[in-house]
Amino acid sequence: MPVELENSSVMTFSNSGSGEASVSSGQQQAPPPPPPPAKKKRNLPGMPDPDAEVIALSPKTLMATNRFVCEICNKGFQRDQNLQLHRRGHNLPWKLRQRTGKEARKRVYVCPEPSCVHHDPSRALGDLTGIKKHFCRKHGEKKWKCDKCSKKYAVQSDWKAHSKTCGTREYRCDCGTLFSRRDSFITHRAFCDALAEESAKSQTNNTAASAPAAPENQKAEDDGKAAAAPAPAPAPPAPEKSLPPAAMPGAGLSRQLGAPPEQQREPENPPAGMLQYMPPAPPPPPSSITIGSNNSSGTTSSSGGSSSGTSTSLFASLFASASATAAAQSTTFSDLIGAMSRTDRSLATEAPSLCLSTNGPASLFSQPPQERRPFLPPPPPPSPHMSATALLQKAAQMGAAATSSSSFLRGFGLATSTAGHPEGLNDGGFHWRPQQQQLEPEPTPILSAGLGLGLPYDTAAAAAAAAAGLPDLMMGPPPLFGPKPATLDFLGLGMGPVGGAATGGLSALITSIGGGGLDMGSGAAAAASAGRFGGGSSPGKAWEGAERKPNSPAIL
Amino acid sequence: MRTELRGTPTSISLPNPNLLQNPQGSLPGALRGCLGSLDGACIEKLLLHCAGALESNDVTLAQQVMWVLNNVASPNGDPNQRLTSWFLRALIARASSLCPTAMPFAATGLARARPMTVTELAGYVDLTPWHRFGFSASNGVILKAVQDRPKVHVLDFGITHCMQWPTLIDALAKRPEGPPSLRITVPSARPPVPPSLNISIEEVGIRLAKFAKFRDVPFEFHVIKPNSAHSDDSIDTALRFRQELASGQLDPSSLGLRDDETLVVNCQSWLRYLPEESGGTTRDPSSRDGFLGFIHGLGPRIVTVTDEDSDLDSSSLTSRIMACFNYLWILFDALETFLPKEGPQKTEYEADIGQKIENIIGFEGDRRIERSESGARFMQRMRRARFQSIQFDEETVKEVKLLLDEHASGWGMKKEEDMLVLTWKGHSSVFTTAWVPDGFDE
Repeated sequence: MPVELENSSVMTFSNSGSGEASVSSGQQQAPPPPPPPAKKKRNLPGMPDPDAEVIALSPKTLMATNRFVCEICNKGFQRDQNLQLHRRGHNLPWKLRQRTGKEARKRVYVCPEPSCVHHDPSRALGDLTGIKKHFCRKHGEKKWKCDKCSKKYAVQSDWKAHSKTCGTREYRCDCGTLFSRRDSFITHRAFCDALAEESAKSQTNNTAASAPAAPENQKAEDDGKAAAAPAPAPAPPAPEKSLPPAAMPGAGLSRQLGAPPEQQREPENPPAGMLQYMPPAPPPPPSSITIGSNNSSGTTSSSGGSSSGTSTSLFASLFASASATAAAQSTTFSDLIGAMSRTDRSLATEAPSLCLSTNGPASLFSQPPQERRPFLPPPPPPSPHMSATALLQKAAQMGAAATSSSSFLRGFGLATSTAGHPEGLNDGGFHWRPQQQQLEPEPTPILSAGLGLGLPYDTAAAAAAAAAGLPDLMMGPPPLFGPKPATLDFLGLGMGPVGGAATGGLSALITSIGGGGLDMGSGAAAAASAGRFGGGSSPGKAWEGAERKPNSPAIL
Repeated sequence: MRTELRGTPTSISLPNPNLLQNPQGSLPGALRGCLGSLDGACIEKLLLHCAGALESNDVTLAQQVMWVLNNVASPNGDPNQRLTSWFLRALIARASSLCPTAMPFAATGLARARPMTVTELAGYVDLTPWHRFGFSASNGVILKAVQDRPKVHVLDFGITHCMQWPTLIDALAKRPEGPPSLRITVPSARPPVPPSLNISIEEVGIRLAKFAKFRDVPFEFHVIKPNSAHSDDSIDTALRFRQELASGQLDPSSLGLRDDETLVVNCQSWLRYLPEESGGTTRDPSSRDGFLGFIHGLGPRIVTVTDEDSDLDSSSLTSRIMACFNYLWILFDALETFLPKEGPQKTEYEADIGQKIENIIGFEGDRRIERSESGARFMQRMRRARFQSIQFDEETVKEVKLLLDEHASGWGMKKEEDMLVLTWKGHSSVFTTAWVPDGFDE
């Protein structure tokens, strides 16, 4: 019983070579096999030569890469031959297997996995590499992962083979676009102009009516590719495009190819995509964003002052001339949207009207220069430069102010109401923020654990902003705002009802907090959903921690 | 708070049951759970409070919360932030409708800057498996259902401008028994939603015909025209869609059915645009149940339905906001995973989603046309409409799995009853189903 496998437990069984069908290995109960053919015929996979020797290696062996180990230096080899050659180097006796005697005895290998089809010796595989690969692929762990497309492989050679083709398109349309997926290719091809050209050519020979009369018209259609000569594949010409072809899983790059010759593309490319979707009215010039400054010239908004804030009044104030100046009239929701989407631009360049700071030193909202910084992160993402706690605080102030000078604009921090704020500040409803008065134009939020909103988004910019001194409002005195205590109980979790005019919504809210219970259910439920978003540990969703955007985990 | 509101929309679990009754009172309380981070859950709460404020006409509170949201939202931030900015926009649209003063803010018709070309659209539908999932599954069962049939007629109702059919044509062309002759009929009425295309549906048909010819599949394409001319441009596009549909497009006689054809009905991202019956009549084929009844009456061989697996049709604004935020986050997150951050492609795709958000949150009544219902509810509806579900065969399931393997590794699939559901990171996104009418014997 020839065994040449050293460090493995091996069950070996073989037929006798005499041609009788042996029962022991479950070989086919066939009539005596024919004499070995003069020419070695290639067997179908899994249908081994009946007189082959069937070898079953253990899983460990199959997975092991270096089964043959030198006893002297422990160097491992995949093949015995190589080990023997190596042993020569140690001046050890070595022997190469005599191949000739074995030639007639082909070896086949079965898979050790009992449930596998190749476990049956009649389905054994013909070579060692084959069985190893099979075992790894089917029953082994997939350790090799393609970087480009995240496909996983258990066998390194499979992975290598895939990597060669991954990202390289396999399907090529006549127009030059490459696709890695057949269905994308087919879909593209069906509509591609290249097809139109091709059938146009054949159309002259064809009386069939299904083609249109003027394929040229369709070619002339703005498809980009037709306009540009079939660009050699995926050069992404659009300036803003940084997408490498490989990054697009299977999608054609026709879109990008179509980009440059686009005549219809809006000339204006706002920083965010949002402005593209503005209503046809041309977006207002940036100056209108600082309507804050416009309006700050003493415009207390008309009307809307009622605390009940009827919908008409407050929103109407946005559109009615809130001030004498015509500039205010240009303020519309579209401006607002424009302002929102221009936030990053405006922050860098002009008075950040959407931020907490506005013009006017006396304003509650303006900030000393050194404090502006966190609220003016350089573009890009300005993002939450402030915690929501802070924002709500602000909103509350504005709300109170709004009652006296209600303006939706102001509500968005777009206006300074110099008149309004001190009132708001001194409003009874805010008496619980005494520190405010100490600081000079200190707007900010001194905020509280009570509200439960702490760190802003953990975006890069916010992190930068944070690094720039944005107060960690949850965790202690914000260095930014100097030596004032950060942990003021904002919404009265520990405090009794705040008195004062509960005119604005938040004030009323504050008031009611004192009386109303705070529902702890919200915390628990928030955990459930926060877990989803915040990267916290939500057991049912294994993806969360690993793959969500890294928001700071919700602390409950 | 759960993402998917299965069952009736009224049975929502909220973190704070008082929320609906007293939105003002619970803002800080609810937000208390957001200790430490301004994450999706917090934004959700803020959105809810804004909605509550709007619903109760407390504009002051609404504006305050919006102001906060505005500072949180960012068109360039992480998916939550970007999603929030679209939500905020939708809320503003809604708020602006509270004010009778004429607004320059044209909330409707906020279309993408430039409609796509047909090849761009082909790429668009393959960006994520969102559409192709349904295409693959439906085409798979259709293929099986028309096996050995010589003539096939597909009634196609959907919003992707026939992007589904090239692969079916291709598969039919390769049929061992030879291709059938294929006829595709589409209505001319289309909901005014993305994706938008720069050519007419007739031209799409022409191209499909060319392709079919190229593959040697006998082919016809037919667009059902509205009966009466609707040249009234002042009609809101959403209303016009329903009108056109109801105006006789959905009439057996206008479909040109032929007896020797095997009829296939395909509804992809369609049923959600058909509203519930108003009034007692169930004969209006432009309503959801009416449409199903109409289809049933045609005696199709198979009906394939694919749609979004989420209940976004609640009459309560707050529930819609919750559901919407938690559902559309999926697409934002998926796009984030493999599209470059600042690319226009992502921006445009997100804007399309933003349009959906705006419709769901910003509008009511007839103008709110996005009314998705979850797969579970839908299956009940189909059964009420006397349809029987059929299973997806092994081959088709395998095809779909292969498709998903080609995409980013977050996409997965699960089976719920006879429904296949596309998942992203475990969250259900799109369901696809196949049906035969009850009592259909063949």
